[in-house]
Amino acid sequence: MAWTWFHRLASPPHIYRVAGRLTPWLAWPAALLIVAGLIGGLVLAPPDYQQGDGFRILYVHAPSAWLSLMAYTTMAVAAGIGLIWRMKVAHAVAASCAPIGASFTFAALVTGSLWGKPMWGTYWQWDPRLTSELILLFLYLGYMGLRSAFDDVQRADRVSAVLAVVGVVNVPIIHYSVIWWNSLHQAPSVMRLGKPTMPPSMLVPLLMMLVGFTLFFGALLLVRLRGEVLSRERTASWIREALRT
Amino acid sequence: MSAFLYMGGYAAYVWPAYAVTLTVMVLNIVWARRLLKRSRKDALRRLAIGGTEK
Repeated sequence: MAWTWFHRLASPPHIYRVAGRLTPWLAWPAALLIVAGLIGGLVLAPPDYQQGDGFRILYVHAPSAWLSLMAYTTMAVAAGIGLIWRMKVAHAVAASCAPIGASFTFAALVTGSLWGKPMWGTYWQWDPRLTSELILLFLYLGYMGLRSAFDDVQRADRVSAVLAVVGVVNVPIIHYSVIWWNSLHQAPSVMRLGKPTMPPSMLVPLLMMLVGFTLFFGALLLVRLRGEVLSRERTASWIREALRT
Repeated sequence: MSAFLYMGGYAAYVWPAYAVTLTVMVLNIVWARRLLKRSRKDALRRLAIGGTEK
């Protein structure tokens, strides 16, 4: 049957087992890529002709910002699936995304601010890109706050899912903010149509960091997902089976 | 080495940015593992209390 994979995906014991097995396959490549990307970005890449060594903040700022958007999109899609098909596992995915996304949104804002000071002369500006990223942080915090307001996990899942889905309009706003409005923030230099605007010595470490952070997010998500799935489960038999290993 | 740490005069911005990001990464690992450990412990307690309560 074509749909069996979907049902297996929705089965908590299956998810718990597969997530556990998959985690190291994401975590170790992530660690290798991030270490290589850090060396490439901090040591091997040449200083920028305008920003000198200050541009190296790019290698932590851009991956954090990328992760903040990827986590929100994953959260919104999972929450939507959870609402439509009433899938517990999808809600568990959504709940797992939020703390990861919120913390990396914070990192993106702080590293951006530390980059803004020497280059723009200010830590903060109510600029479209900066403001929409700050709204993203508030969306994450609102989502988590809303969840914690309910004792019943299933009600928390449903109510918070609505917020997650509605808030996803902010994601394209963040991405296109630097194109739609006059922004202090520079336009995309990698995720754009046409060729990236960087030489390979600068671009390769950045791509390693972006892929590394993506895999790192996946690994964190899987560990959290196992916890979330377990906390939603009330059937004794599979808990006993899952915890034996 | 000191030239590396000096970061062309941007040390005061570059290193805190890296420190914040690495801290967030480490905290995420700690938080995720703690969540899983706590969920396991709670599940075991539910098992001990008994059966398939809802």
